[in-house]
Amino acid sequence: MYHNVLTHAEFHSRKFKRAACIALATLALYAAAPLMLFANQELDEGDAKLNPLAWQTDLAIWTAVVFLILLAILWIFAFGPIVKALDMREKSEMDKINAINKANSDAKELLLQYQTQISGAQEEAANILADARAAADRQKDDIIAQARDAAAQERERAKVEIQSATDAALQEIAQKSAELATDLAGKIIKRDIDQKLDDDVIRDAVEKIANS
Amino acid sequence: MAGQLVNMSELAGHVSDGSTYHLPGFLGHEITLPSFCGLQITRFMATELVVALLMILLFVPLAWKMRTGKPLKGRFWNLLEVFLTYLRNEVIIPSIGKKDADRFTPFLWTLFFFILFCNLAGLVPWFGASPTGAIATTVVLSLATFCVLVGSGMKKFGVVGFWVGQVPHMDVPLVMGVFLKPMLFVIEVVGLIVKHVVLSVRLLANMFAGHLVLAVMLGFIAATADHLVLWLGVTAASVMMCVALNMLELFVAFLQAYIFTFLASIFIGMAQSHH
Repeated sequence: MYHNVLTHAEFHSRKFKRAACIALATLALYAAAPLMLFANQELDEGDAKLNPLAWQTDLAIWTAVVFLILLAILWIFAFGPIVKALDMREKSEMDKINAINKANSDAKELLLQYQTQISGAQEEAANILADARAAADRQKDDIIAQARDAAAQERERAKVEIQSATDAALQEIAQKSAELATDLAGKIIKRDIDQKLDDDVIRDAVEKIANS
Repeated sequence: MAGQLVNMSELAGHVSDGSTYHLPGFLGHEITLPSFCGLQITRFMATELVVALLMILLFVPLAWKMRTGKPLKGRFWNLLEVFLTYLRNEVIIPSIGKKDADRFTPFLWTLFFFILFCNLAGLVPWFGASPTGAIATTVVLSLATFCVLVGSGMKKFGVVGFWVGQVPHMDVPLVMGVFLKPMLFVIEVVGLIVKHVVLSVRLLANMFAGHLVLAVMLGFIAATADHLVLWLGVTAASVMMCVALNMLELFVAFLQAYIFTFLASIFIGMAQSHH
């Protein structure tokens, strides 16, 4: 409700002022506290304990002894072996990286070889296909030519046979005609021919010719 | 009343070294550390011992797990390995060089984790401040770095070669060289020592200041104990500020360990070559 009455800018302005008041009050409290602290009658400003440069020989010797013993123990049992382990790991990783790089270059080389072989094989296949097509075309042409020749020869042979058959038939017809004519002439000579007989003879001859 | 609560010596007692651990009332208020053969064990000594044991307990098993050179299993071990490999690959090798780095890596790793764990120990409640907030500790650590630097340099170039090598090469006439080179030698040697002194003071100042500010902030609560309203406000503000500052201290603990190791690597790296 309160927020709705105020505009956005007013709300933030009041919020800022409130925060500033709290901060100032805190600072004031903080300013008052040291005053009270330093107004204290029991304050001992000359106390050597507050001097950060106060030298402690026993602490220095103790620190040196502890640090040197610690260094020796850690050097022998911890950090020395860790350095070696890290070196070993680095070497192992470098070996692995080198092996991977070598495998990669080998694979690339192999891939190149395969690609060359594939392109060669494709070219070869295309050549083989072209040759096969050319051979097939040639064979087709040969077969067609042979078929045509065979058909022409067959046709010629058929024509010859037809001609021969025609000739034979014609020869046979001629022979038959001659025989019939001979036969007819014999009959004409041997018999007394009348008009009716003439007609019968002629009709008979024609039927024979037709039947033959 | 406030006077009884706010005592600068007591405040300093929480920040600097001492022979007692201050505990909450229900745990018995304080534990006094023993002394051996006249040597009084202090909180910082105990912390350093705990840190050393913790490092042995962490890194010896890690080395055992890593001995085969195979990748580690487990988030914690991998986290430790990430620290080690980051320092080696990103700090030590670039500073010293691949050839010589592994000779100094164990020393620099020990240095880094010893400082880091000491710094972090100061953030553990009731454990006292960090031992790296004492000049005796940081001087010993920077002295160790100095000894490694000088020792490795003299081993590589010989005693004379190393110290003569501190003077940069100059093409000057002999008469001028006789005057200039000794002066430069003194300047370079003093510079070398100052660099290590600064190394120790930087770590000391950062760690001491952080703990002192935390103690002072908490001291404000005691200082205002007489005034209820003021006390409530200061307590709330102090607790919030202390939480925020502890976050910062957590970051500073890592940062200062890193800076110390990084600078030590650079100094050692510089000693491996002449000017």
